[in-house]
Amino acid sequence: MQLRDFFTLDAINLDLESETKDEALKELVGLLGLDEKSRGILFKMLKRRENLGSTGIGRRIAIPHCRSLVVNRLRVAFGRKLSGIDFDAIDKKPVQHVFLIVAPPLEVSNQYLPVLGRIAQFGKEPDVPERLAELQRPEEFIALLEEKGV
Amino acid sequence: MHPQLELLLELQDLQTQRRALEDDPLRDMEEAVFELRPAEALDLLQVKIAEVIDRLEPGIRRRYMDLAGNLDRAVAPVLNGICYGCFVATPTAWASEAGRNDHIGVCDYCGRFLYYVD
Ligand SMILES: [Zn+2]
Repeated sequence: MQLRDFFTLDAINLDLESETKDEALKELVGLLGLDEKSRGILFKMLKRRENLGSTGIGRRIAIPHCRSLVVNRLRVAFGRKLSGIDFDAIDKKPVQHVFLIVAPPLEVSNQYLPVLGRIAQFGKEPDVPERLAELQRPEEFIALLEEKGV
Repeated sequence: MHPQLELLLELQDLQTQRRALEDDPLRDMEEAVFELRPAEALDLLQVKIAEVIDRLEPGIRRRYMDLAGNLDRAVAPVLNGICYGCFVATPTAWASEAGRNDHIGVCDYCGRFLYYVD
């Protein structure tokens, strides 16, 4: 399993418009191409997860995630906001890089946990926040995942 | 979408989250990577779950409580005409129509509430 297999170019936005955490969650959910009702339900669930504790893991990275009935397979998206978003992260620093992961409650291949783990591992690589900040095109994001072998 | 079905979906998603924090390997990751405190998180979730149950209409709430007491989950997704609660094809007449989530449908076999996933 490779992370790059899960990311499609249209689910990568290197220039989010959002200024707030809520807006960023909505903008990322918007990248998944779901209908309006599903987007609303997914946003609510992601918010609920954030209310239990921020998914901002520090080093300017956040990984909002949840399982929901509104998706039929594991979906991921990546959004970047170079000026930073207040995510109430562990290190209290603004977040620039947001990885969204959503999965149905039941998955045949059970990929949710490994994908979450790999993204967390990717985020811990010392140069990754800097490298993500330098990306010019979505293709380079995929290339970085490949380079890191995650 | 039927407003009560929306509540049922929310409820099922909350229950999924609760179960994950109780005994799933996800719990370890939530603690290690996200520094989540599972016991506190579970308390908060229980409050949310109770709030949503309160908002169900009495008939639906009764059915939900019955199902939730007996089955692993009370709301099942339907994909390609198959109920993913019992893995049997659902012969429900309006299954192929647009707006099929505007009804509160139940599976003819397992009785779970049905949510049609696109
Ligand atoms: Zn069924």
